[in-house]
Amino acid sequence: MGFLPNIGPAEIFSQLLVGLSRAMILFTICAGLSFVLGVLRVPNIAHGTLYMIGAFATFSFSKYFGGASGFWIALILAPLVVALIGLVAERTLFRHLYQREHLMLLLFTFALALILGDLVKIFWGAEYRSVPAPDLLKGSVSVLGASFPRYNLFLIFVGLAVAVALWLFVTRTKIGKIARAAAVDRDMVGLLGINVSWVFAAAFVIGCCLAGLGGALVAPTVSITLGMDHSLIIEAFLIVTIGGLGNMWGALVGSLIFGITQSLGVLVFPQFAIVFPYSAVVIVLLLRPKGLLKSVW
Amino acid sequence: MNRNVSLRSLALWVSILTLSLIALPGSAPAQAPIKIGLLDTYTGPATTFTNDVRDAFKLAIDEINAKGGVVGRKIEFTTRDDKFKVDLALSMAKELIMNEKVDILVGTINSAGALAVSELCKTEKIPFLVTFSKSEKITGEKGHRYVFSITENTAMIGKAAAVGLSKRPFVKYWIAGDDYEYGHALADGVWGHLKKIKPNAELVGQSWWKVGEPELTPYLTAISAAKPDAVIFATGGGSMVNVMKAAKATGFAERIPIFVHTATELSTLEPLGAEAPEKVIGTSNYHFYYPDNPKNKAFAKAFKDAYKREPRVGALYGYVAAYFIHQGLIKAGKMDREKLIDALEGMKVDTPVGELEMRAFDHQLMLPMFMGVTKKVPEYPFLIAGDIITIPAKDVIPSIEEIKKVRGK
Repeated sequence: MGFLPNIGPAEIFSQLLVGLSRAMILFTICAGLSFVLGVLRVPNIAHGTLYMIGAFATFSFSKYFGGASGFWIALILAPLVVALIGLVAERTLFRHLYQREHLMLLLFTFALALILGDLVKIFWGAEYRSVPAPDLLKGSVSVLGASFPRYNLFLIFVGLAVAVALWLFVTRTKIGKIARAAAVDRDMVGLLGINVSWVFAAAFVIGCCLAGLGGALVAPTVSITLGMDHSLIIEAFLIVTIGGLGNMWGALVGSLIFGITQSLGVLVFPQFAIVFPYSAVVIVLLLRPKGLLKSVW
Repeated sequence: MNRNVSLRSLALWVSILTLSLIALPGSAPAQAPIKIGLLDTYTGPATTFTNDVRDAFKLAIDEINAKGGVVGRKIEFTTRDDKFKVDLALSMAKELIMNEKVDILVGTINSAGALAVSELCKTEKIPFLVTFSKSEKITGEKGHRYVFSITENTAMIGKAAAVGLSKRPFVKYWIAGDDYEYGHALADGVWGHLKKIKPNAELVGQSWWKVGEPELTPYLTAISAAKPDAVIFATGGGSMVNVMKAAKATGFAERIPIFVHTATELSTLEPLGAEAPEKVIGTSNYHFYYPDNPKNKAFAKAFKDAYKREPRVGALYGYVAAYFIHQGLIKAGKMDREKLIDALEGMKVDTPVGELEMRAFDHQLMLPMFMGVTKKVPEYPFLIAGDIITIPAKDVIPSIEEIKKVRGK
């Protein structure tokens, strides 16, 4: 057992694609987490719970609208609902807490994660939910002789689109530029007389929206259930740490490392595949304790 | 006004007195109801299974009471939620026995909870009918006079899968599953028995993922590359749905035969709807459409009329538990715990899945296992099991010698 005798280039290539698609979901979520970390300096543990809400909302919307277009409408509405929750949370709660120390923020977001988790239980119940993939993306295509799910191809494209959109946002828009500046030196931006309050709100809402989008994207591939937030948030924090805290491109690099080491690890040593991405994290942190790319912290 | 208050307090006193009369043992009039405690998990994901147990149990009790009850008394039951926690299960069981003065306990889906309550029932001498916990220890190593199992257990599941799979032409197997106790116990059970029945079966590889792993596609593509004849999935709960979804999306199920315990069960197939893969081999104790006999049809119809949904496997357990109690009491002649246990030992009751025997030696209900293959049908919005073969209980239940061995006698 252990090493598989018949691994060919086709298998490696298809595993790479699977890893890439997983990395893209992780990137969508982690980019949001990292953005909030960078601009607001808030380690948002509730980010995973927002992702879970995104998945549950996708279930409800795609069921409500139904039919072929149900999922597509849900894919737009679910992240917006999560963004709205983010906006309310930022304006009523987070706004008053930015000056507190990190430990307080950590505990606060942890409490928020538990509260939101319970609200999900009250609202959606504890049963497993399942969202069907849209007809267009059902089934699989053949890639070099190995079959590859269409939906995962779609994920790769969405991930790239998110990366491009974020890049345009932070380099081409005013809010983006201020947010970037605030991430590098928050006090300086304040000293320049810029009212950063609304920039923070916008950054937080974007972060939450990305968490919701991640939840919506993952919905058709998994069972949507309570607790899906816990396993994700740990991975997400590892990824933003190895990428460099608060650095969005670090989140991309971290997601790629995590997704691809996992999928290739499964191919090479399936019994112990769980350890591969975590070993990669350990190696990165040993070699570069501050993360691969520049941390803003 | 004053008059009013005193009248009301008089009424209150009368009702308290009447209640205490009923609650007082010995002095109870013959028509006081027999009390049963239904202790199970009614919060969290387990409710997918436990709500059916409770609802079918209620259905049966209502049927019995409508016919005038049993041994001249009605049956009444009280439910308690153990929230899937062992300590809560134990304290609730105590509360039911001490305060509610129940004569019989029924329930629990959490194996650890079932074993704890079972120990309590042993000392309190209360008959306890386990309805969903799958640990083979309940009627095996930890079995005793007061505990009965109305459900399959891990030993029976493993052996049933092995018996069913050995009839198919597979040689090279792959095992994949959730990396926790249930997953490994299930896998060991299936593989151990399969190797005994079919010595040339070969295990070409294994993959284990962490519980709740959302992305199973890389695991499936890796397994495809090894080209096994069949894959045994050892998963439970939410991972079931993840496996089925990934197997469908990658087209895995069309290329390689896969076996998953409960894949053919309604609890798995209904939430998936048309998203479930076809051709998946699964085992279950019950289908509302099989066996196709009048008794099952009547039960499925009564359940659907009452609750507007099809009964799942838990419904069978709840319904059968109630009727074993009913028949046991008739045979015992009155509500006497020791006599009830004597009556239940070796008792045969006609159920929706045919006549079932409560094995006298270990108190394990001899449930048959149905192995089928998922298929689409026009009648339902979800997949059902086709090509069903019945594996009789005698082929899968641990032998009395094996039970004696684990009990150290």
